[in-house]
Amino acid sequence: MTRQNINRFALILVGVVVFGLPLVLRSPTYLHILILLYFYAYLTSSWNLVGGFAGVLPLGHSAFIGIGAYASTILSLQYGISPWIGMIVGGILAAIVGILVGFPTFKMRGAYFALATIAFGEGIRVMVENVDNLGPLKINGPRGLQIPPTNIGFVNYMFNGKEPYYYIILVMLFGIIAITYFISRSKLGYYLNAGGEEPEAAMALGVNVARAKLIAMAMSSFFTALAGTFYAQFTLYIHPKSVISLDFSFEIAFIALIGGRGSIAGPVLGALLLRPVSDFSRIYFGSTLPGLHLIIFGTVLILVMIFQPRGLQEPLTRAYNRLLDKIFGGTGQKEITHEYS
Amino acid sequence: MIYILEDAINGVLMGSIYGLTALGLTLIFGVLKVINFAHGSLLMVGMYAAYWAIILTGVHPYVALIIVAPVMYLFGYYLQDIVIKPIFKAEKDVREPITVIIVTTGVWYILDNLTLLIFGPTYRSIQDNPLKGKMLEIGEMFISVPKLWGFVTAVITAAAVYWFLQKTRMGRAIRATSLDREAASLMGINQFKVYNVAFGIGTATAGIAAVTLVPFYNIFPSVGVLFDIKGFIIVVLGGLGSIGGAILGGIIIGLIESIAPQFMTATWTEAIVYGLFLVVLFVKPSGLFGVKYDW
Repeated sequence: MTRQNINRFALILVGVVVFGLPLVLRSPTYLHILILLYFYAYLTSSWNLVGGFAGVLPLGHSAFIGIGAYASTILSLQYGISPWIGMIVGGILAAIVGILVGFPTFKMRGAYFALATIAFGEGIRVMVENVDNLGPLKINGPRGLQIPPTNIGFVNYMFNGKEPYYYIILVMLFGIIAITYFISRSKLGYYLNAGGEEPEAAMALGVNVARAKLIAMAMSSFFTALAGTFYAQFTLYIHPKSVISLDFSFEIAFIALIGGRGSIAGPVLGALLLRPVSDFSRIYFGSTLPGLHLIIFGTVLILVMIFQPRGLQEPLTRAYNRLLDKIFGGTGQKEITHEYS
Repeated sequence: MIYILEDAINGVLMGSIYGLTALGLTLIFGVLKVINFAHGSLLMVGMYAAYWAIILTGVHPYVALIIVAPVMYLFGYYLQDIVIKPIFKAEKDVREPITVIIVTTGVWYILDNLTLLIFGPTYRSIQDNPLKGKMLEIGEMFISVPKLWGFVTAVITAAAVYWFLQKTRMGRAIRATSLDREAASLMGINQFKVYNVAFGIGTATAGIAAVTLVPFYNIFPSVGVLFDIKGFIIVVLGGLGSIGGAILGGIIIGLIESIAPQFMTATWTEAIVYGLFLVVLFVKPSGLFGVKYDW
């Protein structure tokens, strides 16, 4: 068996397990935890398209979540348009904003870029907080928008139990992973990689680094916004501090960085490792030791940056490969691994 | 009309304090080429240190400077030495280490939440200090006394740091390292010692700023976040690495914050500040007085 086949089999196995899980696991609490886990894994994977592949540090991504959430919610509450369509609209809107943001900021170097994205994120939040009505659209400022849980049904993106949401976010997660995989093997992926490492050399070879980065940004913001709609439909209440917050942006970036930005497995791994930490420390220590999970995040982040700057996916992937070597013996074929810095 | 003048003066005073908080940030960036995201948290630590120093000894707030400044210096010195230096060593060839920025963000989160854990979320303030709520009457205007003290402290501190950088040996070493770290180390300057000292001084100024704030500002674990973001804005406005620029940038922000609410809601003022920030970033990223870096 070639390594590629083994990996494919493992992937199918994982797929069967996660898709079959709700049939076995009935507790809504655990389903909820898993849904949030997939949600964050999806967000970090979308972030990864810019933060990992394009090699910059965007710290304002929650703005796109907000755009997606508000777009679909306003369209469904005021005009009765199905949130699925609203989701696409939100995504396109976010992509446009993403390009507008990326245009001037990609010219800046690391720290300035990070600051600019923070400023954009916070700026958008402040604007949404201050606006009650944008023309005919009701935004409601800091009070936020509430979605009444009527009109159950697929078209209305509204369901009674947790299971449908579980499957939706799971499909989205597999989708974004697949997209990331295909991009990493495409021309765009190579352009981004080259542009991230040595932009001048890449440009000398004729690579339009700026355009590649903008495309990555547009895609990242589009997919992030889709998650915004999911969040809105899942929690049924959105307000600026919840969907467009600095903490949210930072959390996404942290998890992706700890897991390993630039890789495909990294962001998902990060979410897999850190979200349970966050949930459990909040459940068990929330009242006695508030903020514990953030201290753990911060410490893990620093340790990972010092010892494994490419993220935890690097030692974990190596261990996985070594394990497979032991079980199945070294394969005659060398697997092509695409690792991005 | 007189109210605008009063607002403007109070705005300048408060702005100078903002500038003082950003002074350390600009110094650290100028030398280490790192934007210290944890600076707000360092300010917060300084405020708690000042608070406890004053509460436990009952002295006049500004006397606490004697304790707070050296303590903060050491705190910053060793923070750089233990936490940030390893990353620098790992990213030796990169001119502008991004990983360090990420690490400082981690430090920010740790400091803020550790403080929350240890001291709880309660807002503290020093109720019966000699400066609280005092106003100076000039004609029909009321000038805030604690802010006036802050203004004087800010100017003196800025001048002192400037003098230090210009006239002392270590100061010259710091300036040399900020211009070209390889050439400086070829001249026999210990790069990492310079970083430690610069970080220490930066943190110490944050401590001084904390002491000026404590008489009239509430103290709570996330107080640093506001100043952190404002600090970035000020430092970019004034020019990263420029001391005078930091104070001036602070004054500009202070003026906007005090005058704008006369014409619009306070939250739109926030939006203006962010907008101004973005404009400066796009048009002249090196700020008013900054050195143009070759990026």
